[in-house]
Amino acid sequence: MKAIQAEELCYTYEDGTVALDHITFAAEQGKVTGILGANGAGKSTLFLSLNGVLTPQSGRVLLGGAPVDYHKKGLLELRRRVGIVFQDPDDQLFSADVYRDVSFGGVNLGLPAEEVRRRVEKALERTGVSHLRDKPTHALSYGQKKRVAIAGVLVMEPEVLILDEPTAGLDPQGVSDIMKLLTRLRNELGMTVLIATHDMDIVPLYCDYAYLLGGGKVLLEGTPEALFADPAALRANHLRLPRIAHLMEVLRDVDGLDADRSAATIGAARREILRMLKEENQ
Amino acid sequence: MGTDRYAYQSRLRRVSPMPKLLLTAVVLAICLCCDSVAVGLFTLILMGVLITALGGLSPRVYLHFLKVPLIFLVIGCLTIVAGAYPAGTEMAAAIPVGDSLWGFTPDGLWLGGRIFCKALGAVGCMYFLSLNTPVTDLTMALEKLHVPKLLVELMELIYRFIFVLGSTAANIHTAQDSRLGYQGFRRSVSSLGMLSSMVFLRAWRKAERIYTALESRGYTGSLTTLTDAYRPGWGLLPLTALLGAGQVAIWFAEGRLLP
Repeated sequence: MKAIQAEELCYTYEDGTVALDHITFAAEQGKVTGILGANGAGKSTLFLSLNGVLTPQSGRVLLGGAPVDYHKKGLLELRRRVGIVFQDPDDQLFSADVYRDVSFGGVNLGLPAEEVRRRVEKALERTGVSHLRDKPTHALSYGQKKRVAIAGVLVMEPEVLILDEPTAGLDPQGVSDIMKLLTRLRNELGMTVLIATHDMDIVPLYCDYAYLLGGGKVLLEGTPEALFADPAALRANHLRLPRIAHLMEVLRDVDGLDADRSAATIGAARREILRMLKEENQ
Repeated sequence: MGTDRYAYQSRLRRVSPMPKLLLTAVVLAICLCCDSVAVGLFTLILMGVLITALGGLSPRVYLHFLKVPLIFLVIGCLTIVAGAYPAGTEMAAAIPVGDSLWGFTPDGLWLGGRIFCKALGAVGCMYFLSLNTPVTDLTMALEKLHVPKLLVELMELIYRFIFVLGSTAANIHTAQDSRLGYQGFRRSVSSLGMLSSMVFLRAWRKAERIYTALESRGYTGSLTTLTDAYRPGWGLLPLTALLGAGQVAIWFAEGRLLP
């Protein structure tokens, strides 16, 4: 089932920049969908349109199959069901108190206080920041702020979670922690996760499906493996293959080995290399 | 924000801000109204005891915090006490300059002492509040006291973004300094000018992005949030009464002992 869809979405900024040019895309329920694209490809504009912060000039957004209603009530409903985590947590955390910041979305839903408290506890626990509740926001590290920002969105218990560059600025351990958290949200809650990224190495590991955006258009779509089969398109858009897939490409094109270019993870590459070794020995 | 860092570590951190605010207000009001040396000093010492014993702050840190206002107070009181008087006035200490006397009269000294001690007591009260109550709790309390919501929300946002913009400014400063932007007076002035205009521009852009982020979390014009559960802090109420009574008792005793 499609959790969220966009049909022929167009958006042009006041200064004439065409950010979205007839974008049609869909994110499968309970999957992680990657949106790949260089800076200025239209990722952020797309996300803001999906959450109703921007109203598309033409085309429409469908949530759970039904078109979005842009009136006050419909917008609140849309923002409850589709949560965005912004790239810079300092843009999102407005309170100096961690607990109060996380509670904000819950209070806006008009839930009773006990329910908000229950959700805040759950969100803090899920993101692993319960121990930070007594600290002021400005005393947190970047990675901790990022987690608190995610907790602040989870409190609204959205069906679709959108993250803009979730791994930017994090150390390798932080990247792995955040991505595991997102995988858990998908597996345990069946949440639909959308991530914009140009960190290509995480794409084969964590994304179930991916779109390549460029100049406000969808250029390619498919499983990560399918996208990596067209490295020229990625490179034309200032992206690259994941390192492992690149190695496979070199083994194939330069060394003339029979390597599968879509092997983009360590596990897949290992299988591929073992297979080639076995074939050589026979 | 020196005091705020300690407020988050205070043992009274989780106590509701209301009784803390009440204690501060009552003790402060009595200290100011009594206008006496003994009550001022008594208040200062009591607040020190409360901050260290209840809040768990080390006495060394408290004394350190007292140093800054102390310097201001000494200078401020000296300017009140010292003055030029016509020759023949009864002086405590003076030097003749021309046909007038420059120095201190006994009355002036007494007045200066009263102001000094009263102000010290007041400083103690304010430290009790600020070393035990994070700013976010304080704004929450103000909201409950029906201070206009707009004002409270502004305070909260300003408080949060002091740190964000502060670190932006510090980063720009480091970047300029690493390229020799602060060598010599002229260059320092021009670098500082660039820094301020950059911080202003970034603040502007940041405000836009924050608004977007708030909107995406269902912001509809009010920054209402919930706080983590407070301890009610009923124990502070009898303590407040006791402290007030102690202050008044000291005031009467002083009135009896002094003519």
